[in-house]
Amino acid sequence: MILRLVIADGSQSPAVAESVEVADDGALTGWRSVSDGGVGWFAGHLPPAELAEVQALVAAAGAEAPRVQPRPDSAEQVLELPATGPVAIAGIRDGADGWPALAAASRRLLGRLTDFPRAAVAVLDGGPDVARLVHRGTDPLRLDLATIAVRATGWRGYYEPAGDWSGVVRGPGEVEAGAGWTYDLPLGPVAGDTVHLTADFAILSGPTRVPVRAKHTPAIPPPTQQ
Amino acid sequence: MPEASEAPIPDQRVRPDERAPIIRAPDPDTTGPALAAGGNAAIARMLQRSPSGAGAINDLPRLAGNAQVARFVVQRDADVDAPPAPGGVGAPPAPGATVGAHGEEIRDAQLKLSRVQASAQPLTEDGRYGPLTEAAVRTFQASVGITPPTGVLDAATKARLDAAYAALPPPVRTELKFGATGPDVGFAQQKLNAVGYKPRLVINAVFDGSMLMAVMMYEVGTLKRFPFGTVDAAMWTALDAGVSGGFIAPEGAGATPVEQSTPSGTADALGTQVPGTSLHPVVGVGGLTKGPAVKELQQKLNTAGASPALKDDGVFGPLTTAALQAFQSGRTPPLPANATADKATWDALDKVAPGSMVGAVDRQWTEVLGGATYQLTGADASRYSWEIQKTRMLVTVKVNFVGLPPPGAWFGYVPAVWNRYMGVETATKKSMPIDFQMIRGAGGDAMTVEVKPGTDRANAGEWYAGDARAAQTIPHEYGHLIGLQDEYQLHPGDYVRVTGHEPPVGDAAGPGVPAATIAANLRAAMMARNSANARTASVGAGVKAGAFAQQVVQEYAKLPAATVPAVAAVPGPPPVPGQPAVPLTGDLMADLNNSLPNDIDRYETIQRFGYTSGSIMGDPGRVKDPHEHGAQPRHIAEFVAILGRALGGTWEAKLR
Repeated sequence: MILRLVIADGSQSPAVAESVEVADDGALTGWRSVSDGGVGWFAGHLPPAELAEVQALVAAAGAEAPRVQPRPDSAEQVLELPATGPVAIAGIRDGADGWPALAAASRRLLGRLTDFPRAAVAVLDGGPDVARLVHRGTDPLRLDLATIAVRATGWRGYYEPAGDWSGVVRGPGEVEAGAGWTYDLPLGPVAGDTVHLTADFAILSGPTRVPVRAKHTPAIPPPTQQ
Repeated sequence: MPEASEAPIPDQRVRPDERAPIIRAPDPDTTGPALAAGGNAAIARMLQRSPSGAGAINDLPRLAGNAQVARFVVQRDADVDAPPAPGGVGAPPAPGATVGAHGEEIRDAQLKLSRVQASAQPLTEDGRYGPLTEAAVRTFQASVGITPPTGVLDAATKARLDAAYAALPPPVRTELKFGATGPDVGFAQQKLNAVGYKPRLVINAVFDGSMLMAVMMYEVGTLKRFPFGTVDAAMWTALDAGVSGGFIAPEGAGATPVEQSTPSGTADALGTQVPGTSLHPVVGVGGLTKGPAVKELQQKLNTAGASPALKDDGVFGPLTTAALQAFQSGRTPPLPANATADKATWDALDKVAPGSMVGAVDRQWTEVLGGATYQLTGADASRYSWEIQKTRMLVTVKVNFVGLPPPGAWFGYVPAVWNRYMGVETATKKSMPIDFQMIRGAGGDAMTVEVKPGTDRANAGEWYAGDARAAQTIPHEYGHLIGLQDEYQLHPGDYVRVTGHEPPVGDAAGPGVPAATIAANLRAAMMARNSANARTASVGAGVKAGAFAQQVVQEYAKLPAATVPAVAAVPGPPPVPGQPAVPLTGDLMADLNNSLPNDIDRYETIQRFGYTSGSIMGDPGRVKDPHEHGAQPRHIAEFVAILGRALGGTWEAKLR
């Protein structure tokens, strides 16, 4: 293992519980509970150049991490390196050198993780008044879809609120989602040029039921500078 | 975060009386003395004597030498003889106030309408005359025979409402003796704290040795009587006259039981300033050379006698440089004439020129929530400026937004929540609206906020462009930018300091499981690093926030020291990071925070043992309070104080 980052925040529901780990050979694995690129398990390999970059940042960071308390309302972020063990990094801002650079790279890896779905479910815009759950990856996973809390937020222009809709969909209960699986969720009308979606349900892992939030939040281009 | 205006909020606390709170510095130390170990020998002797005996009387002067008694003596002189002051403050309402009206008198009417149970549910005391307030006025008018009921708060209706409120029966009090338990014990503890007893009593609703000591001190010092150690009718009368609140009242037509909060000390909603730091930014050589901070420096140098007088243009030029050096070299002993207004220079300037019409703040601060420490220090320090203009005071936070551009709507969310108050000078009634704004900018007097795509949870330095709750999130985070700390999961001492209220009594009875058992079960869950078990042992057992939960906190503190072993990371799901060994401290919230995974089970467990407000800086999603809605006067107290320093007089915050 080269590094492992865990971000957790139990103040909100579903709780944020994200992890990414890079192995010596560049294998990238992790779990996302609240994510745009899907929720569930992810696994892949970093290209050699990216792996070398991570290795260089770890080597340059040094064994002594700065002790910086996080800003108010921050989530917990724990980065674990073989040389240091677990280190709280929520207070370390992104930077160009040393631990700030390593912290920034580690956080980016969480986003990178979603490029490698193994057994995950994402929510997408399924057309007018439909949010669509879709399976991502190669492996199946079990879901608890007894109730799915859905929220749609409409935006016009550059993040100008245009309206929102939320509701609870009574789903089919426990299902196994595999390759090609989809499930459509009806939405109420939402105004706006861009619609953001969230769907709250649960992933079943053995006896454990993990509440998750799949998100679809396409970026809105900033207004052109005059 | 604030709810919609006037949203009905059941089952929550209320602040019934807005009389000026008794000014006492809160003491964060909540460990009360045990009578057996720390009892005052004079009191012990007196307890063995006749109440009318000469020995007891002779001992009174000795007791009066006790600092504790002295505080109560002062308290009596100041407060006990003062009449109880139900009702609100401010000018009488405008004739015919109706939907759309706003201000302090409307807030006062909302308070009274809830208490006389004219509203359907407890009204949110936001000072905004909305449809729920109108409906309550209409109901009240019908109930007292005002026909036709118009829903307009006219003079006649106001008079009848005031009379109905004044006629409400006082709370029924029970006599309390050593060993008593229940909510009234908690309310008496609140009031003893509020009148100045130290060390502070834990609000645990148990009449224990610590409380006995406080009661006897109060009897001797304030009631001037032999210390029976009993909270009887006479003592309740004195306590209730001295401190408002501290009882449960039915509110709204459904008689929702609402705990009436007990004011205590002067609220300080700002984060804890890092010791040794200055509130002024460094100005001049090596620091800021333009802007409000320079303007403040120029004004203060002028007050200090700069010759020739400086033009306060906010530009650190040669004349300002010379004046600053002259001021520095003119001190005794002289300060280095380095043309840098650093902490030492500002300290000296503030002594000779406490007030100015413009100023800049650089506040380094920390907060402790749920046992964890957070901070805005160094480059992240809260930076803001203020200016007293002709018709208003304007508070500005200049933000250097990096990443995505900030959505335009964010700039409107700040005034929507924060521009609710004005400073009012108590003698002249001169008023000055206090406006808040967030502007874009860069430089040494700007804060940096990164705007990120997506919808994650914001913190004080990272905001999300797609935040669907931005109307609440941005004003909350803005509060941090002006130095305000969070108001959730606070220790009792911090809660009192921040809110100016005693911790609520809440649930005094508990679930029927001994507090010591719950404490032991929590310890076991921590040793196993099992947050689900911790939640089961507390929330699952029926523990709610309040006095019984504080009994658990006390029992937990008695447990022998222990260390939770280090654990390796767990891949999950959900993933849990590796953790080093954790020595348990006896501070329940801190130990829960440090030993358990950061998940919902941990959060909800900690929530039971701390205190949370319903204000914009609290957690209104979990704690709804009809009387702690949105921005509160304590949140703008710093700026009200600045008005006093700059303009003279005594200023207080009033709803507009």
